[in-house]
Amino acid sequence: MLNVTILGQVVVNGIGLAAIYILVALGFTLLFGIMRVVNFAHGEFAMLGAFALYHLMKDLDWPWLVALPVGVIGVAAASMVLEWLVFRWFYQRMFESMIGLLGLNMMLMFGAVLIWDVYERNIPAAFTDVLILGDIILPVDRLVVVVIALAALAAFYLFIRYTRAGLAMRATAADVEIAESQGVDTRRTYKIAFFVAILLAALAGALWGQIYAVSPFLGERPLMMAFIVVILGGMGSIPGAALGGVILGFTESFVGTFYGAAASAFLSFGVVILLLIVRPWGILGTPET
Amino acid sequence: MARRRSHYYLIAAAVLLGWPWLTDDKFLHHVAVLICITAIAAASLHLIIRTGHVSLGHAAFMAAGAYVSVLTVMQLRMPWPVGLLAGTGAAALLAAIVGPILLRLTGKYFVLVTFLFGEIVRMALVVTPALTGGANGIFEVPPPWPFLLSNRAYYYFALAFAVFGVGLCARLLTCEYGRAIDAIREGERLAECSGVPVIRVKVTVFVIACALAGMAGSLQAHFIRYVGPESYSIVQSLNLVVMNVIGGMTSLVGALIGTVFMITLPELLRGYVNLQQILFGFILFATMAFLPGGIIELGRRLRGFLRARWAGAA
Repeated sequence: MLNVTILGQVVVNGIGLAAIYILVALGFTLLFGIMRVVNFAHGEFAMLGAFALYHLMKDLDWPWLVALPVGVIGVAAASMVLEWLVFRWFYQRMFESMIGLLGLNMMLMFGAVLIWDVYERNIPAAFTDVLILGDIILPVDRLVVVVIALAALAAFYLFIRYTRAGLAMRATAADVEIAESQGVDTRRTYKIAFFVAILLAALAGALWGQIYAVSPFLGERPLMMAFIVVILGGMGSIPGAALGGVILGFTESFVGTFYGAAASAFLSFGVVILLLIVRPWGILGTPET
Repeated sequence: MARRRSHYYLIAAAVLLGWPWLTDDKFLHHVAVLICITAIAAASLHLIIRTGHVSLGHAAFMAAGAYVSVLTVMQLRMPWPVGLLAGTGAAALLAAIVGPILLRLTGKYFVLVTFLFGEIVRMALVVTPALTGGANGIFEVPPPWPFLLSNRAYYYFALAFAVFGVGLCARLLTCEYGRAIDAIREGERLAECSGVPVIRVKVTVFVIACALAGMAGSLQAHFIRYVGPESYSIVQSLNLVVMNVIGGMTSLVGALIGTVFMITLPELLRGYVNLQQILFGFILFATMAFLPGGIIELGRRLRGFLRARWAGAA
């Protein structure tokens, strides 16, 4: 029952889940905020990130510390082809982007089934140690996931806040035409934003795959979670994505531990519906004019 | 003009009623039944899309109709018409509960939330195995009446329902109500200022459409004689959207063309299920990127092009 051991694990799990959800949701909300694209294929990039890590570690025997960055950056770089083939047609076309990218979602998912088949695989464990602090027992790999995810979030924040490219992104998100008239190369800004969004999704997928398992359907759950997170926080709002991720991650960790995964899913959905009645634009979003 | 129109209707009716006797191929009859049933679902989704909302949870309402109908017939030992009414009513009730909440949302949120809603309903079916058979579903569902075990007989049965369902949608869209629906899609605020009760119209349309989906679900469950959660997953909802998108989202005929296309294509590609999903995905992408008006739009453009050529030559 409720004692320090369980509570400690629940909290660490909560932080881990929250961090992963925020990584997925940040990219999702970034694409929406800047290009007005609702990326229904976002979860599939997480799936690709997990498969990249799996192959680099299992087939090439690379150490985790090398395989993770190489795999994640590799997926993001390769996805630039999709940006050129698919995504650029949907910039600033919100409605078409939803349906069209659902199509991309299907192509990537069932393409992955053709290549990798449907069964689940496990990424070789990078850390098997267990950290014991008094009554609290923590598996090290979960802690590593938390640290990496938090570092990525910090890096993302610094990038958006303090670099010229980040400034260009914020300007484009605020108003495309005015940004262009002030000399912002929006096409280039779109590409950078796309790269960053996919990078975050692929990283989240790799970390997710490390905790759970890798399969072509890995992307479905992170995608649904990203939906819930951005609805909670407000679509297009970056602090909103962070807040929504924290709420959802902890809810799922607590309710999931004590009442099962189905109960936590029902609860999250119920909360979303309740929130939508009171504040359809999310906790930190702004109502549309 | 009106006379020629009525000729077309007579020919169409003769073809639809007569063709099953030209062949004894049970498989063709089977596909035809599926087309009739799915046409009801696709046409009902078209109603919702016409109000400017794309629902990604439409299969959930088919599931409500199918499960309630099957349980009424099998657990409560009721005759099938009671099951059909119960299923249709259950879908309508579900829509009446969630509709007023969901339909206040703007386009993108509506899409996301209906997607989540579809998954939640599917999950609810899986975690209540005592009632719904869980992930396995319910087998050996009885047909509505014993004589409907023949595919040819069921075709006429389903055709009658399809004519009713699609006809209802067509009538709704051509009457004054249809103008209100189009006005809401084109400019919600303007419609509201012009005295259209926006939310009321949207909720009414949503409830009617979901009731029709529930009816289609009941017809399908008692035809395939099985219900399971995977038949009503996001893939089925998506397929219904694809039907509307490839045909053309601005006309009911587009939804029907899309239905025929989407039901017959998988039958031709049997054994390549994954490839078929990839193809559907590509169609969705390509239509949305380059031809948002769908097949109907393609025909219109082609006609315009030919007319321009002809005028140029003359």
